[in-house]
Amino acid sequence: MGLLTIIKKLKMKEKTVRILMLGLDNAGKTTILRKFNGDDINTIMPTLGFNIKSLEHNGYTLDFWDVGGQKSLRSYWRNYFEKTDGLIWVVDSCDKRRLEDCKAELQLLLQEERLAGASLLVFANKQDLPGALSSDAIREALELDSLKGHHWRIQSCSGVTGDGLAEGIDWMVHDISCRILQVD
Amino acid sequence: MATKGVGSFLKKAARGRVVSERNLATKETITPEEVLGLQAPTTQFLCEPSANIYGIEFVAFKLRDMESGNVLVNLGPGIPDSEAMAVVGADNSGRFVRYQFRPDFFDLKSVGASVTFCVGDKPVPNFRMIERHFFGNKLIKSFDFDFGFCIPESTNTCEHIYELPKLPKADIDAMIATPYATKSDSFYFVDGKLVMHNKAEYAYDGTF
Repeated sequence: MGLLTIIKKLKMKEKTVRILMLGLDNAGKTTILRKFNGDDINTIMPTLGFNIKSLEHNGYTLDFWDVGGQKSLRSYWRNYFEKTDGLIWVVDSCDKRRLEDCKAELQLLLQEERLAGASLLVFANKQDLPGALSSDAIREALELDSLKGHHWRIQSCSGVTGDGLAEGIDWMVHDISCRILQVD
Repeated sequence: MATKGVGSFLKKAARGRVVSERNLATKETITPEEVLGLQAPTTQFLCEPSANIYGIEFVAFKLRDMESGNVLVNLGPGIPDSEAMAVVGADNSGRFVRYQFRPDFFDLKSVGASVTFCVGDKPVPNFRMIERHFFGNKLIKSFDFDFGFCIPESTNTCEHIYELPKLPKADIDAMIATPYATKSDSFYFVDGKLVMHNKAEYAYDGTF
């Protein structure tokens, strides 16, 4: 299932849905974004800025923003919080050494007022690689169960094979559309 | 017939103020609202290359068919010009490009159009793109996208994935019969002021 199938399910008053993808550098954000959109994933360089995929269907727009995760870029993340409906936090499940960093950065984001209403999807990425931590282990390491106020879900996935991507994003779009309908 | 004329005038007025290119030619700064009021493709550039004080530079463009995955246009440094389904010509300014497609372009259902751009050493606040495609004086497709903030010295990409507008057969025939009468204007604004203006023209009579 691709994005066009998912966007067809959008039936809400809000015309544009904005999803922000963040995570440490080398987590696989751009690979996930491109794989899910049927784009070539062979020549991906570190993102030194942003990558946007804007999908238009029947007057609705689904915008994905993938912003570079290098340490020098993280102070700019705040410029992309406004109007965010969903946050996708991408984790390199093989990068055990930086799991503490990963947790700290996520905690910081979740304190951000402008992201308070956003649904949170955590992608436990790189499940195709040997030695990848399970999504349960990531869930524990990031202390997701103690999260308050955010709708969240963790999904194991592989940006390279595409496994798990549709399930995760389908959940997120559904969660956002339910929330927006409730507000109305 | 008179009432019909009034009706269409009111409809136009409701969409926003009608603006002619002649009104804009003498203006110091041009706003998004003004270019949205244009009823035809421009004949001139509405700003000088020197207006681009942020060093914004478009370095790549790709157009792909979302159904087959075929790449129709792939322009950029280090990209081999293989299996292209379009012929491309450009002028020296980098502000004007011509594309020639085959008539079967109109069989496409949805496409992904992506641009890659770099910005200079200053942060760019409120970056916005408005692109308008006309055949003759008929608006066939319009994009209005807010990039917002761009990080200094960043390289960014943006792909618009959309269904091609369904056009009457007569229009398609006319577009094939009159090469390069399909034109687009791309306007780029920083903080509500025009800083870049690029143009393209399209033909659909390719036989390659």
